[in-house]
Amino acid sequence: MTHALDVFGWFDNEYDDDGFRTCSVTGFDVHRTVENHVKLFGVTAVVFLLIGGLFATTVATTRWELIGLLEPGDYYKHLSMHAWSMLLFWIVFMEVAILYVGGPMVLGRKLPLPSLAKVGYVVMIAGVLTIYYAIWTASGNPVADNAPLLTAYVPLEVNPLFYAGAIVYIVGIVVAALPFFLTIWYEKRENGGTLPLVTFGAFVTGIIAVEALVGGLVAFAGALAYNFGLAEWFDAGVYRQWFWIIGHGTQQINLVAMIVVWYLFTHVLAGAEVVSEKVSRTAFILYLFFINLGAAHHLMVDPGLSVGWRVWNTSYAFYGATFASLVHAFTIPAGLEAGRRKRGKGGGLFGWLTSAPWKNPMFSTSIFAIILFGFLGGITGVMMGQLQLNMSWHNTFATVGHFHSTVVLGTTVTFMGVVYFVIRTMFMREFVSSKLASFQPYLYCSAMAVTALMMMYLGILYGIPRRTAEVVRNIPRTDFSLIEAAPLFNVFGVFALLAITGGALFVLLAVGSLLFGDRIEPGGNGDLVADGGLEMATDPEDPVHAYEMRGTFVLCLFFLGVFVVAYALNWFLLTQLWSIGA
Amino acid sequence: MTSPIKPPKGNWWDQPVNRRESIWLGLGVGWALVLFGWMSAFTRIGDQNPIGETYRVTEDELREKVDAFKDAAEEREDGAYVPDGDDVFVVGQRFDWDGLPVVLETGREYDFHLSSYDVQHGFSIRPEHALSQQINLHVMPGEEWVVPMEFDEPGTYHVLCNEFCGEGHRGMHGTIIVEEGSQ
Ligand code: HEM
Ligand SMILES: [Cu+2]
Repeated sequence: MTHALDVFGWFDNEYDDDGFRTCSVTGFDVHRTVENHVKLFGVTAVVFLLIGGLFATTVATTRWELIGLLEPGDYYKHLSMHAWSMLLFWIVFMEVAILYVGGPMVLGRKLPLPSLAKVGYVVMIAGVLTIYYAIWTASGNPVADNAPLLTAYVPLEVNPLFYAGAIVYIVGIVVAALPFFLTIWYEKRENGGTLPLVTFGAFVTGIIAVEALVGGLVAFAGALAYNFGLAEWFDAGVYRQWFWIIGHGTQQINLVAMIVVWYLFTHVLAGAEVVSEKVSRTAFILYLFFINLGAAHHLMVDPGLSVGWRVWNTSYAFYGATFASLVHAFTIPAGLEAGRRKRGKGGGLFGWLTSAPWKNPMFSTSIFAIILFGFLGGITGVMMGQLQLNMSWHNTFATVGHFHSTVVLGTTVTFMGVVYFVIRTMFMREFVSSKLASFQPYLYCSAMAVTALMMMYLGILYGIPRRTAEVVRNIPRTDFSLIEAAPLFNVFGVFALLAITGGALFVLLAVGSLLFGDRIEPGGNGDLVADGGLEMATDPEDPVHAYEMRGTFVLCLFFLGVFVVAYALNWFLLTQLWSIGA
Repeated sequence: MTSPIKPPKGNWWDQPVNRRESIWLGLGVGWALVLFGWMSAFTRIGDQNPIGETYRVTEDELREKVDAFKDAAEEREDGAYVPDGDDVFVVGQRFDWDGLPVVLETGREYDFHLSSYDVQHGFSIRPEHALSQQINLHVMPGEEWVVPMEFDEPGTYHVLCNEFCGEGHRGMHGTIIVEEGSQ
C-alpha cells in the first residue's frame, strides 16, 4: 500500500501480514522496516555522491593548472566540501545501509527499534548541514577562519561550529547503528549458533566502527575545547593521534564493509561459495585485533614518536592486518572459482571468470573493486605505510592517488554496485538503460584507475604536493616551479574528467531508474540469480573446498609478484637519496 | 554448508583447507615477515630514516634559537646564511620558512632543526636537478625535531610546504644551496 507521502512509489512493495516478503534473488526474508531504511540511507548517500562529484569537478580542474579554475581562497573550501561529502557522507550513509542488509536482512529479522534509525538519520543530517555551513562560510582569513579540509588540524583556526557539527554527525551514526547491534544481540539470544559469514563480517565492521567513532568524539571534542582555550594540552600532536583513529579507522570500516559486500555479491550473483569458514573468519578476527593500529600510518614522519612505536603500529603488529587482506584476496576469488566450477561454469584455468556475469554492473563493480583496490590501493598502502618509504609519499599528490585507489576504486565502486542492487531488488525498478548500466563501471573504473596512477606518478616522480591550489606553473615570489610535471598533469586532467563523466552517468542512471524505471513485479528479477541457483551451496555432500582453485592461485602469485617488484622499486628510489636521519 | 548468508552447520572449524589455499597462507605469512624485517632492519642499517630527537619548545624559545642561529651565521650578499656550525634551523610560519635560504656543503652532516611557530606545515624538499629525489617530513608547532642530513650532491634544493596552513600556503617556498664541500 502506498503511503500518501510516497509520491514516487518508492516504499510500496507487497508484504505478508507480518510485514515480510521473500527476495527472489537472495532468498532473504525481507522485513518492511529493514528494506525501507536501507532505501532511505541509500538514496541519501547518492545525493552526497552527487554533491561530492560536483566538487570533484572544480577541484580536479583547479589542480589541472592548464584550466586553473578556482582562486586559492575558493579552492580549499571546495576541497573541504569534496572530502566531507565523499568520504564521510556518501560512504557512511551507505555503510549504515549495508549494516542493515548484513544484519537484519540476511538474518530475516525486523529492524529493532526502527525509530532509532530515524533519529540517527535526522541527527546525522543535522551534523552534515552544520559541517557544510561551517565550510561554506569560512572567510579564509588564515589567522581566524580557515577551510578545514578533511583533517582540521589543531591549531589551525577553524570555525568551532565545524567541530561541533562533526560531533553531532558521529553521535548520529552511533544511534543509527544501534538497531544493527540489537539485531545481533536478539539473534544470539534467541537462536544462538554461528552467525552467517556476511553477518559476522558486518558485526566486525560495526565494532571497528564504534572504536573509530569514539576516537573521533575525543578528537573533535578535544579540538573544540582547545579552540575555546579550555585544553591547551590538546595540541597538534595529541589531536593528530586521536584524529587518525577516526580518520584511518573509517577507512578500515570501508575496507571490511566492502569485503562483506564482495562475499555477498560474488555468492548471490555468480555462485561463489565460502571455501573455508575457518580461514575467512580468522581473517576478520585479525582485522578486529590489529587494524586500528593503522592509524599510525599517518604519523610516520611526525616528530616526537619513538621508532619502536611507529614500526610496531604501522606494521599492524607484524603485518597482522595486511596478512588478513592477503587472505581475503585469495578466499574471495577462490570462492568464486570453486563455486563456479561446482556449477559447471569453469573450464580451463580462467573459465570461471570469463563465463561470469560481466554485464551485470553489481557483479562487475565488485570484481573491478577487488582487482583495483588490491593492485593500486593495497600495494601502495603497504608501501607508504613503511616508516622510511613514507618519506617519499607523505603529503604528496601520490598520497591522493593512493587513497583514490582505496576509497574510490575500492569502496565507492563497490557501493555503486550496492546501489544498483538496491534499485533492482528493493526498489524493484529496471534500469532506464541496462546497456548504459552495464557500461558505467567500465568507464568509471578505467578512467579513475588512470587518474589515480597519474596522481601517484606526479607525487613520487615530481614531488607535487597535495592540498595546494597552484604549484606547477607558478609559485608566488620565486622563479622555481614544477613545470616539468605539466605534461603528466594533462593526462591526469583528461582522465579525471572522464572519471567524473562516469560518476555522473552513475547518478543519472540511479536517479533516472528510481523515477522512470519500469516497475519489476515480484519474482521478476530472475536474470540476476546466480547460475545454478544458491541452493547448491547448502549441499553437505558436495564440499566446495574440494574443487580446483588453480586460477586463483595463479592470479594471486601474479599479484604477489607485482607487489614485490613495486616494493623493490620504491626502496631503490629511496636509497638514491642523500642520507637522512639518525 | 558453504554459503556466506547461511549459518554454517556442523563442525565448520575442522573442515579441511584446500592445499593451494594453505600454500598461499604460507606465502602471506612469509611476505609479512619480510616487510616487517626489512623495515625494522633498515632503521639500523639504512641511510634514510625519518628519525631524530624531538624536544618540546615554545614559540618564544624557538624564535630566540633561530635568531641566535642567524646572528652567528655569515650572511651572504644574496641573503643566504652560511651556518656557523653544524646546526641548521628551518622553521615554518605562515607563509615562509624562517632560517632559509641557507648555504651548506656536501659531505658534511648537519643537524636540521625542524619546527613551526604557528600551525602544522610540511617540509617537502627536492633538488632542482632531480625532482624525483624528494622527501617529506611533518613539521609541528611546539616540537623541535632534530633530523641529521648529509648531502652528497651540490645543487639548489627547494623546500615547499605540503601541509595546508591557510590561504597563501602555496607560496611557502625556501631554498637550500648545497655547494661542493672542501673535504
Ligand atoms: C571522479 C572522481 C574524483 C576526482 C576526479 C577526484 C579528485 C580529487 C583531487 C584532485 C584531490 C586532491 C586535491 C589536493 O590535494 O589538492 C582530491 C582529494 C580528495 N578526494 Fe577526491 N576525487 C574523486 C572522487 C572521490 C571520491 C569518490 C572520494 C571518496 C569516497 C574522494 C575523496 C577525497 C578525499 C578524502 C580527498 C582529500 C581532501 C583533503 O586533502 O583534505 N574523492 N580528489
Ligand atoms: Cu605551510
